[in-house]
Amino acid sequence: MNAPDRYERFVVPEGTKKVSYERDTKIINAASFTIEREDHTIGNILRMQLHRDPNVLFAGYKLPHPLQYKIIVRIHTTSQSSPMQAYNQSINDLDRELDHLKNAFEAEMAKFSRDY
Amino acid sequence: MEGGVSYARMPRVKIRDLKDDYAKFELRDTDASIANALRRVMIAEVPTIAIDLVEIETNSSVLNDEFIAHRLGLIPLTSQRAMSMRFSRDCDACDGDGQCEYCSVEFHLLVKCMTDQTLDVTSKDLISSDHTVTPVDFVDSSLAEPSDTSTNRGIIIVKLRRGQELKLRAIARKGIGKDHAKWSPAATVTFMYEPEIHINEDLMESLTLEEKKEWVESSPTHVFDIDPVTQQVSVVEPEAYTYDDEVLKKAEAMGKPGLVEINAKQDSFIFTVESTGAIKASQLVLNAIEILKTKLDAVRLSEDTVEADDQFGELGAHLRGG
Ligand SMILES: [Zn+2]
Repeated sequence: MNAPDRYERFVVPEGTKKVSYERDTKIINAASFTIEREDHTIGNILRMQLHRDPNVLFAGYKLPHPLQYKIIVRIHTTSQSSPMQAYNQSINDLDRELDHLKNAFEAEMAKFSRDY
Repeated sequence: MEGGVSYARMPRVKIRDLKDDYAKFELRDTDASIANALRRVMIAEVPTIAIDLVEIETNSSVLNDEFIAHRLGLIPLTSQRAMSMRFSRDCDACDGDGQCEYCSVEFHLLVKCMTDQTLDVTSKDLISSDHTVTPVDFVDSSLAEPSDTSTNRGIIIVKLRRGQELKLRAIARKGIGKDHAKWSPAATVTFMYEPEIHINEDLMESLTLEEKKEWVESSPTHVFDIDPVTQQVSVVEPEAYTYDDEVLKKAEAMGKPGLVEINAKQDSFIFTVESTGAIKASQLVLNAIEILKTKLDAVRLSEDTVEADDQFGELGAHLRGG
């Protein structure tokens, strides 16, 4: 059997960077982030969160091939921001949202077990 | 972060029903990307413990060794420990062997049939080395007598006739559904957009009772009903609507377009979570949030990437500025 190991889908190979960054050579404030071993789960939430940032002119992601376990996130911002700043901000905001969601769910659980 | 700007949302949650292996809740003030990410993580990335290696000593049953090994892998094991456990591939205590106490749990099974009565070998025959990791005990809480052992015999692995024997050692490891579905803690995880249904009352009153009945019955699910006294049509169960468009087509066909307006609220979701029993449904949701946070943390830019770009930026400014 020459099938690749299943763990290759989610384990970053040694010596490979999880996230690499490449500036656009033609457009200022545009860049691509290549994220190894991630898929639509991360790609889509990053994209949607980036769309909430008014300084983001374009944000999109693609999964180039189902057997290449990486995604590419492309960001174009205004001069008020930068792709890197917008990228970091989106991660911080998502992190904050998930913190809030965790607390909200736990509070509901406590309330539910008390009420029923 | 500069200026403390934040575009983060503050989602709301309302739990409708919560049992050990079932949860139904409303998730509001967020978007489909978060709802879908949670669903995907619950199915494929929340870890559990499952049998991953089987050494068979004796097998004179009718099923071959690999068939039994596969069946053992699919038995859900109680996995509260999984979140804090190590993956065997990351374990330095046993150096990739994957058989130490930090990353594995050992099971033994020894059954021999000595009578003419067919003997069922079940998940209850698996003897665990760790009392916190055992085959999931399916006790139907709806039964009057949950202690009745005749209805609670575990999961059948194989059946033995007189003289047949099964003896093996199994190693259970931590894993995720992305690797193999046997590690998925989710039986089903679904979400639907909350529907918003508005009936155009004036148009509805222009219908005869017969027409109203005909229209209400055009819905394949029980969404609308007619009040027997006032003969008014009302929405009784909006969530029974399956976005099938049947009532809209019917209204059109009756020459009454706009009789009802149905919208999917883009920021409200109704989740249904069913667990295999490996972890509680509520824990499955909380673990998924935790895993998603860990994943996000892993995709943060590394220090050297930022530095390399800073230098590039200076070089660029230098080239542009002359
Ligand atoms: Zn180990």
